[in-house]
Amino acid sequence: MSTTLPAPAALAAGFRAILGPDRVLDGAVERDLYSRDGLVTDGDCALVLLPETAAEVSGCLREAARLGLAVVPRGSGTGLTGAAVPLEGGVVVSLARMRRIGEVDVANGCVWVEPGVLNLDVSAAVAHLGLHYAPDPSSQAACSIGGNVGTNAGGPHCLAAGVTVQHVLGMEIVLPDGEVLVLGGPAPDPPGYDLRGVVVGAEGTVGVVTRVCLRLSPLPPAVRTVLLDFATTAEAGSTVGGIIAAGVVPAAIEMMDTGMIVAVEAFTHAGLPTDAAAVVLVEVDGSPAQVEAQMAVVERVAREQGVRQVRVARDEAERALLWKARKSAFGAVARIRPNSYLHDCVVPRTRLVEVLHEIQRIGREHDLLIVNVFHAGDGNLHPLIAYDRRDPEEVARVLAAGDAIVELCLSVGGVLSGEHGIGIEKRDAMALAFSPTDLAAQACVRAAFDPAGRMNPGKVLPAGSRCGEAALAGREVHVPDGAWI
Amino acid sequence: MDLTPRSPDAVAAALARASRDGLTVDPRGGGTKSRRGLPGSAGTVLSTAGLTRVVDHAPGDMTLTVEAGLPVAEVAALTARDGQWWPQAEERPGATVGGVLAAAASARGRLRHGPVRDSLLEVVLATGDGRLVKGGGRTVKGVAGYDLPRLVCGSLGTLGVIVQVTLKLWPRPAESGWYCAEATAAEAAALAARVMAETYRPASVVLTPQALWVALEGAAADVAPPAGMAASEAPPGLAGAGIVECGVPPARLADLVAGLAADGRDYEAWAGVGTCLVAVATAGDVAAVRERALALDGHAQVVDGPPGLRADPFGPPPPGLAIMRRLKRAFDPAGVMSPGRFVGDVQEVAA
Ligand SMILES: Cc1cc2nc3c(=O)[nH]c(=O)nc-3n(C[C@H](O)[C@H](O)[C@H](O)COP(=O)(O)OP(=O)(O)OC[C@H]3O[C@@H](n4cnc5c(N)ncnc54)[C@H](O)[C@@H]3O)c2cc1C
Repeated sequence: MSTTLPAPAALAAGFRAILGPDRVLDGAVERDLYSRDGLVTDGDCALVLLPETAAEVSGCLREAARLGLAVVPRGSGTGLTGAAVPLEGGVVVSLARMRRIGEVDVANGCVWVEPGVLNLDVSAAVAHLGLHYAPDPSSQAACSIGGNVGTNAGGPHCLAAGVTVQHVLGMEIVLPDGEVLVLGGPAPDPPGYDLRGVVVGAEGTVGVVTRVCLRLSPLPPAVRTVLLDFATTAEAGSTVGGIIAAGVVPAAIEMMDTGMIVAVEAFTHAGLPTDAAAVVLVEVDGSPAQVEAQMAVVERVAREQGVRQVRVARDEAERALLWKARKSAFGAVARIRPNSYLHDCVVPRTRLVEVLHEIQRIGREHDLLIVNVFHAGDGNLHPLIAYDRRDPEEVARVLAAGDAIVELCLSVGGVLSGEHGIGIEKRDAMALAFSPTDLAAQACVRAAFDPAGRMNPGKVLPAGSRCGEAALAGREVHVPDGAWI
Repeated sequence: MDLTPRSPDAVAAALARASRDGLTVDPRGGGTKSRRGLPGSAGTVLSTAGLTRVVDHAPGDMTLTVEAGLPVAEVAALTARDGQWWPQAEERPGATVGGVLAAAASARGRLRHGPVRDSLLEVVLATGDGRLVKGGGRTVKGVAGYDLPRLVCGSLGTLGVIVQVTLKLWPRPAESGWYCAEATAAEAAALAARVMAETYRPASVVLTPQALWVALEGAAADVAPPAGMAASEAPPGLAGAGIVECGVPPARLADLVAGLAADGRDYEAWAGVGTCLVAVATAGDVAAVRERALALDGHAQVVDGPPGLRADPFGPPPPGLAIMRRLKRAFDPAGVMSPGRFVGDVQEVAA
């Protein structure tokens, strides 16, 4: 439980003047609800604000600035790192009511949407035009575009298509002082630094995004999906590496280990081989000729590695079933134990098999069930620890195992997160991946947008990371006549 | 005085000294992008020619870590051995990895492969005040912390010197080819629209005043001349006393090209991307081209040319200038890095 104190009525008054009485929530229940996301940790929420326009967001941020309150933007709250959890009694700005999808700009291959729009709704809205929005997090039916921008979300199809930042052409953002800026848009390479690129993945620490220009991609003319069944993890891992080494980057390569296969099969009845050590789900897309050529390579490599069975989806229904199995992994595990802790780190693809074995060892060492379903093509692991939150002793083991996994990934040359981000969860681990000098530079990037440090404080950077005094307190930059910078 | 440091540490030491002594510094790779920015503000040239180590080449992980002075051509030769390449980088004779990234110079295949900033996984930057700062991560995917690589890409040496980078590699396509059809500007635009509608993910669709050029890549069956086009070489590079690079929303490119053709200009326009390179000879040309780009919700920058063409190389400053200035101050507190590289309207600065 969080320890939320009643919000002083005076705090709410200014916001009510902007949003009206009903869109400022100060009840204990609501504040409690908005004080957590998909991470175990709870926060402390002073007020929940439900703006419907950029102008209202701007008004709210000005009011928060006047009151000196921290501001936490929130999409759907499906984040897994605590990035949307308000610490120290900040106000939560929920974008859930900003759900308009603008007119689809077919000629420019893009659409402006509001941040509360759900990821899946974008593709649904443009499918009749032969288009889709490529990044497809497994949570796509629930997570918002604003949250995707906040975390630079990925998904199975980001292997070939690229993650969120490669599909965000521009955005409207409200800075902490209330100023509204439009960064980027459909014209390529606007002059100046790529601020758009910095906003994506900044986890709500640089401002509140109120509109996003998304790049839409043509639906591929042909798609083929195949499930490969292996007796050993090593063969599965070698197949993933072999496909890439043979010059094929499929649209997606996903892998599940035994524990996950068993859980998912019991849940979805997709016909997964529950006696397999690992299955690999591969999808190739493109022109019919390309799909043909790539599928031939996939099958050849899999057979060379001793695949037991090659199951090609015969039709769209079977393809959908295989993907449903993949994307319901989280729900499936919930049937085994009440809670699960989903990890996220990336290792060099060539180290996958060895790391998977080590993760199993960590599981045994901490007496925990760890199952794996992950984006194998880019080495993005998602060890999932099933546990019971009511057992504090087990929770302690879960956290210890989590730390061990992070250290393992870094020790083989990996990175802290592939797509979930840092939030609170990995904030302190940042010091393992970056030097104090690196972290100070990152603090400067943040401070350039938010000099007062009120946007989503306590996230991403470990306590004590500060933009060097000399840097920001320094004298004005020497700008030659006629220069911007 | 020129500098050619032999290691990232030596670059950092040189910049720390420059900041202390107030000496301005211009980083230089191959020098292919040096005729840029406000003339007359150049300082000491810091060459990256001494930074050419291959730090880590992992074909199985499709990553390559190199020092920034390595020529792009050497990256091409090195990665070709494993059937891979770095498709997003513009390849000009002499261009270096650091120079291409600092200028965010994307290849003609951008329509298919995306901009060059998508390929930069990790960067080590020697900041203006002599710190070595690392950002991003070496794996092909990662979201750990603020995206320093994207900030540095396109920063034109104004934040520091890019000393080392990790690049994301791709398999080379099985087949690739260029096709060409002679066409007037209007015919080329119509043909381009047809090719874009009928071809799935072409690599490039390039309009010039006399022709349309198309590059295709992929399986052998997909690399065949589109109707009305014949196999050809790649289009020749645009020549002119100076070059202006326009960026407009892709849907406005046909309008831009029609206007440029009416003005009798030479250009190279990238359909589906919205980039258009225009040859210019006078400051008046620069202003006229920019006016057309601005009227189409775009922008125009002088990316190459003698000092006479660079009195106003960037046009109106972009939104977020206050943030950009704070970033500049944080990475280069003494203001020694490439002053005058991001140049705009005097009035705006005074305001
Ligand atoms: C079952 C399950 C599966 C998942 N699978 C994936 C996956 O495959 N890939 C993946 O990447 N993630 C996955 N996630 C994690 C999560 O869904 C993503 O991180 C998603 O992008 C979060 O979106 P959200 O709308 O829930 O954002 P929230 O959790 O509400 O917020 C996330 C971050 O974005 C910021 N933010 C939100 N809106 C804005 C805004 N308008 N302006 C500025 N900042 C904002 C918040 O402050 C916070 O820092 C999964 C989660 C679950 C529960």
